[in-house]
Amino acid sequence: MPLPPTTHIVIRNNVADLAVLTAAMGRVGDEHGIPEKALFQLQVALDEIVSNVIKYAWPEGGAHDIEIRITPREEGIEIEIIDDGRMFDPREAPKRDKPLPGQRPQPGGVGVQMTKQLVDRVDYARIDNRNHTTLTKLCALGSAVSGRKKT
Amino acid sequence: MNNTALRMQHSHAGPVCILSVGGRIDSGNAADLLDRLNGLLSSGEKTILLDLKEVLYLTSAAFRVLLVASDEAERNAARMVLCGLAGQVRELFEMGGLLEAFTVHGSREDALARL
Repeated sequence: MPLPPTTHIVIRNNVADLAVLTAAMGRVGDEHGIPEKALFQLQVALDEIVSNVIKYAWPEGGAHDIEIRITPREEGIEIEIIDDGRMFDPREAPKRDKPLPGQRPQPGGVGVQMTKQLVDRVDYARIDNRNHTTLTKLCALGSAVSGRKKT
Repeated sequence: MNNTALRMQHSHAGPVCILSVGGRIDSGNAADLLDRLNGLLSSGEKTILLDLKEVLYLTSAAFRVLLVASDEAERNAARMVLCGLAGQVRELFEMGGLLEAFTVHGSREDALARL
């Protein structure tokens, strides 16, 4: 049985677009019957990765596109984030140091650390000078995947 | 999207300033929360209770703000404590390793009884 096709979303490198992305992800969640908790975790993980891209990928500034492809798979949801900014492999991000007793942790790196826990797999490839970061969340999808016809 | 916009409202219970936050905190609006917290600190508030019960969604941008504001509170001989963390929002605090970085109470009533 064919799975529903990939959903493409393109946003600008502007933090104001993050809420748009969450809303779009919510619609995809409804369409494919993504369980509520898995959807929330995917939304936050996607937000973390895209926020990082917006903040750090283009130190020279300027308007850039970020492409997001959301694909339902047999075993869950795969989200690919594509940008033409400088190379960044989230898998290689340094582990955060544990704060010394009585000291507050440093904020850097929390987003990547959380992302790794929110999804089941983080993959990365640099293809044609673009970053392709792929998040995979294993979850049982709803009736849309098992054959509900789109109207 | 209005129900997920960042909402903030402050009130007082004796010497405690309660800032109720609701909706969504992300990189796009976290600076607004930091401005509000800094504003309360610079107006002389010494105990700020941040009630996050109505927060539906947050990212690490919120954690950055809370860490920065806690440092600022310390510099002002003030303190900031949290309450109302529940469900998936609380889990995010755990994943970020941030739960032990703050003083966290259960409900607003629990917090006020201890402050």
